[in-house]
Amino acid sequence: MEILQFKDNKTVPDVIHLYSNSIKTCSVPLVIDNGSYNCRVGWATSDSPQLSFKNVIAKPRKERGKKDGETQVGNNITNIEAVRFQLKTQFDRNVVTHYEVQEQILNYVFTHLGIDTEGSVNHPIIMTEAFLNPNYCRMLMSELLFECYGVPGVMFGVDSLLSYHKDCNKDPLRTGLVVCCGYHTTHVIPVINGRADAHHARRMDIGGSHMISYLHKLLQLKYPAHFAAITLSRAEELLHQHCNIVEDYSSELNSWSDGDFYDRNVLCIQLPYSAGSSGSLGLTPEQQRERRRELARRLTEINARKREEKLAEDEEQLNQLLAIQDLQEEGEETEFQNALKDFGLGSGDELPKIIGQIQVRIEKTRQKIVAANTTEDPMSEEPKQKIIKQFQTPKDEEDFKSWIADVRKKREELLEKRLSRRQRRQEMAKRRTPASVERMRLINQLARNEKRDDDFGMRDEDWDVYKAINKGGDSDSEGEAEKLMELEQVLRAHDPGFSANGEANSGAEEAGEAHRLHVGVERIRAPEVLFQPSLIGSHQAGLADTIDYVLKSYDADTASILASDIYLTGGTSRIPGLKERLTREITALRPFRSHLSIRLSSSPSINAWLAARDLARDSRILEQCLVTKQEYHEKGGEYIKDHSISNPYFPSPLPLSVMETMPNNSISNQEDIEIDIV
Amino acid sequence: MNTAPEDDAKEEKRPIFKDPSFQHTIKTSSKKKTWRSLKQIIAQERSLPWPEDAVHYSSISAPPSFKPAKKYSDISGLPAKYTDPQSKLFYACADEFATVRSLPSDITAGYLTLRGANNPIG
Repeated sequence: MEILQFKDNKTVPDVIHLYSNSIKTCSVPLVIDNGSYNCRVGWATSDSPQLSFKNVIAKPRKERGKKDGETQVGNNITNIEAVRFQLKTQFDRNVVTHYEVQEQILNYVFTHLGIDTEGSVNHPIIMTEAFLNPNYCRMLMSELLFECYGVPGVMFGVDSLLSYHKDCNKDPLRTGLVVCCGYHTTHVIPVINGRADAHHARRMDIGGSHMISYLHKLLQLKYPAHFAAITLSRAEELLHQHCNIVEDYSSELNSWSDGDFYDRNVLCIQLPYSAGSSGSLGLTPEQQRERRRELARRLTEINARKREEKLAEDEEQLNQLLAIQDLQEEGEETEFQNALKDFGLGSGDELPKIIGQIQVRIEKTRQKIVAANTTEDPMSEEPKQKIIKQFQTPKDEEDFKSWIADVRKKREELLEKRLSRRQRRQEMAKRRTPASVERMRLINQLARNEKRDDDFGMRDEDWDVYKAINKGGDSDSEGEAEKLMELEQVLRAHDPGFSANGEANSGAEEAGEAHRLHVGVERIRAPEVLFQPSLIGSHQAGLADTIDYVLKSYDADTASILASDIYLTGGTSRIPGLKERLTREITALRPFRSHLSIRLSSSPSINAWLAARDLARDSRILEQCLVTKQEYHEKGGEYIKDHSISNPYFPSPLPLSVMETMPNNSISNQEDIEIDIV
Repeated sequence: MNTAPEDDAKEEKRPIFKDPSFQHTIKTSSKKKTWRSLKQIIAQERSLPWPEDAVHYSSISAPPSFKPAKKYSDISGLPAKYTDPQSKLFYACADEFATVRSLPSDITAGYLTLRGANNPIG
């Protein structure tokens, strides 16, 4: 079987591009496809985006006393897993809500394009936004672009509509159904005569990110031992490289349930591992003994140092006290009293007593030091010798056989004991099992007994009752585990037929085996989320049902025109099999023999950028659609000019500045109501 | 005292093309205000007196599923006929049942949460 490895691709930091004079003087429009997965940026004059990076920043947490670390953006984050918990995105679902992060991203973008004009970015911006982006969000984005960067004009377009527009360039009044599978959401947008019909469009809150996190968690639950090694980036790599959407999920599952099919198709992935690093388990007995001896030596050293310190302290005190005694003998009464007070002693009578005590203590410490120096660490060799004596191999053939059988039996008994104990513990954990009923009975009895004449504890057996009611059960004692290991060692050495099952393997190959992931059904299970959101607990309809729902909201004629041009775009639509699956499911849902045609975007990920670039090259369209700085000041940040690839513009019924000042509790009330309905 | 050098550092980092006096309007009124979440924004949006024909973000949510959710084994992903009454996990066959019973509780909870079936109340 082929064994794969994760590539763990690292990103390459972006270079700072040259800000050429021609771009600078002609104020060439700048095209930004601001997607929730990737951000792509390039000049209208270029063939492909100059920058393409993951739309995230890594902001180091503020620590007291430390200098703030540098914020990393996009491709400057070479190892995304190292900063996973510091990642921030400006997106909430597919909508930009965090404009400080957006500001950081735009700083990065303009810096890496080499822009060096002071106080402003003198290029019109063509930017993508979410379908039906709330006016509030557009206002904040316009504010950022116009007021922070001083751009001369902005045009907002919807990525999926842009993409569709590009792929049917010959016919701008075309009717079709755009299905855009994004990172956080999937849109189904009917386009009638070249204009998006927002009333009948629908949005599923399922996208590539859900597949990735589903796959990630599935594998983590399947391999709890490799919890840390299974990272989101690796799950992403798996999804991109090895997952596919199947035409018929249930029949595919049936074939997976067949063992041979599984063996033939399972994906085997080797996690990186180092053979020697399996902790103390991998140490040989010799090494363990060495380590124990080292520990003992260190302990005795510490003890000796402590004793010496104590000795020095006592001697010091003794000298002082003796000096005080001298004072008394010399008749210096006042000084003697002062010194006594300093030592916290009441009268001179206590002095000789204390001196005596300290002298005894010093003597004892000295003896201890001597004793410690003479005896060589007493604890090291003894237990081992005992075991060796116990397992001395008999020379005689007959004796040997019976001895081996005996050892084997001992091992079996230990294992059995352990198993039954575990069983009991498990039983105890649950209610209404015989074991736990018995336990409750015993506790009851104990409680009752204590009230009457109490002779509990007189006999040693009494205490066993606590062992019986202990819920955790007696844990597998270390001594027993050691014994078991000894026995197994002996058997391995002398009994050719012995192999301990479930035991950690020692060879390098087996260690590799333990670090292998087997990815089978997961490969089709993760992308299936798009068709069965119930897999991740979402109550929304799947993609095929949503498309059907949208089609059914039209009369039969319009629906069949829409169905004859279903257009798939967005990064997630690159998962193989999507088109076939949709064809199959929608054919089943559509009227018999009705026409159905599904096509995939020519370049799902980058098409929106290319389309926006084409628009940006057309000065006529720019003139029509660009919102200038003057218009921004007149009509507010939410304003856009309606055109075929933009969102429909519904001016807010109240000025958005009112929204700012509206009391917050009205919002929370709203949320309460929403929860009630759900 | 401490803020002065910090501001200097920020000033230094500030790219040349930005308006040095710019501040997000949300941040100007009070320092504590944070960015609204999407949920708050759409709740706010919905509360406005929109004209009849207006469509906004929350009005295009996909419909709920009209079909009952299919049951798949939590551990293998295969079609599941059975539910373990104790852990509430789905399983497909007897072998899997043994596995289900041997799972520690955190893994069980993990599978349930993944499927959105983990109800903390019971």
